[in-house]
Amino acid sequence: MILIHINNVAQSLTQPTSLAELILAQNIALDSIALVLNTQVVPRNRWQTILCQHEDKLELFSAVAGG
Amino acid sequence: MQVMNKPDAITECNTLNDKDFMRYSRQVLLPEVGEAGQLRLADAHVVVVGIGGLGQLAAQYLACAGVGELTLIDMDKVEVSNLPRQLLFSDADIGLNKALVAKERLNFLAPNCTITAYETSFNIKQLYGVLQKKRQGKCTLVLDCTDNFETRQLINRSCVEAYLPLVSASIAAFSGQLFAVDQISFPSSGCYHCIFPAHTRVSHSCSTQGVLGPSVGVMASMQSLVAMQLLLGMDSRCDGALHPLLGHFWRFDAKSLSWISAKLTRDPYCDVCGVRKAIPYLT
Repeated sequence: MILIHINNVAQSLTQPTSLAELILAQNIALDSIALVLNTQVVPRNRWQTILCQHEDKLELFSAVAGG
Repeated sequence: MQVMNKPDAITECNTLNDKDFMRYSRQVLLPEVGEAGQLRLADAHVVVVGIGGLGQLAAQYLACAGVGELTLIDMDKVEVSNLPRQLLFSDADIGLNKALVAKERLNFLAPNCTITAYETSFNIKQLYGVLQKKRQGKCTLVLDCTDNFETRQLINRSCVEAYLPLVSASIAAFSGQLFAVDQISFPSSGCYHCIFPAHTRVSHSCSTQGVLGPSVGVMASMQSLVAMQLLLGMDSRCDGALHPLLGHFWRFDAKSLSWISAKLTRDPYCDVCGVRKAIPYLT
């Protein structure tokens, strides 16, 4: 089992999980957010191929377009 | 429609005159600026796209700081709902084009600044002037201060194609975002499209969610601060990965007053700045 943090909330995973699978499991549409993994923005095209690692810190956020 | 003014140049040689030395003395005092930095600002050209909450303040900071040339772009007219946060405008300006009103005000506030105003939506042809300056070796920048995702994508694409540095800020409700990218000095940080591809679903805007004036002011101030430091060439000796401003994405929470920073990375499959064809990821 590995422990990760999504927007500062701890969550445990029992099987290898990609970033894309993790986001979909939160009921969040992949095309509605950006993702920071351990202080680095990860482009959407890589979410399917990166597996969550123990103690990963993820931040999910939407685009803000106002001004 | 394009409207220009032509004030006296701040300097025609490589020193500040006495009047400008006094005017900009608090900036020149900084070792990071000095007389050379002030002359560099006077030689710079910045394009400000969107003269709303962000753009009207960023344009004031840059013009009054001694930036030599500004291009202001906005097709919108001043509305009464703008006035609580767009402090450059007043009741008497309601119904007038924002870029034209801002140009008139800034001519008064910052007579050293040459200002071009476009009362149309953004298009890449409006960057031709700044590109000529870039070819002459002058410092050039584009500020994205717009209020919608589609225009932000267009500005990003145009800056990538024109190899112009982009400093982008946004705000809605209590959430702000800010980043700076440059395809020449730091290409590995990618572009806006690498973070938010064009088909991203976006719901955060001031007109639908509301915003407090000081939150907008914070974002515009930070955007101006990043822009001035890039124009001054501060930390230009740093290579890309070590640059303290380029290639970073900041998020501001206006409730807790906290900032979170992340590093940007290029998407090699990005439709805008990538070199390879994008792969489908929503399958």
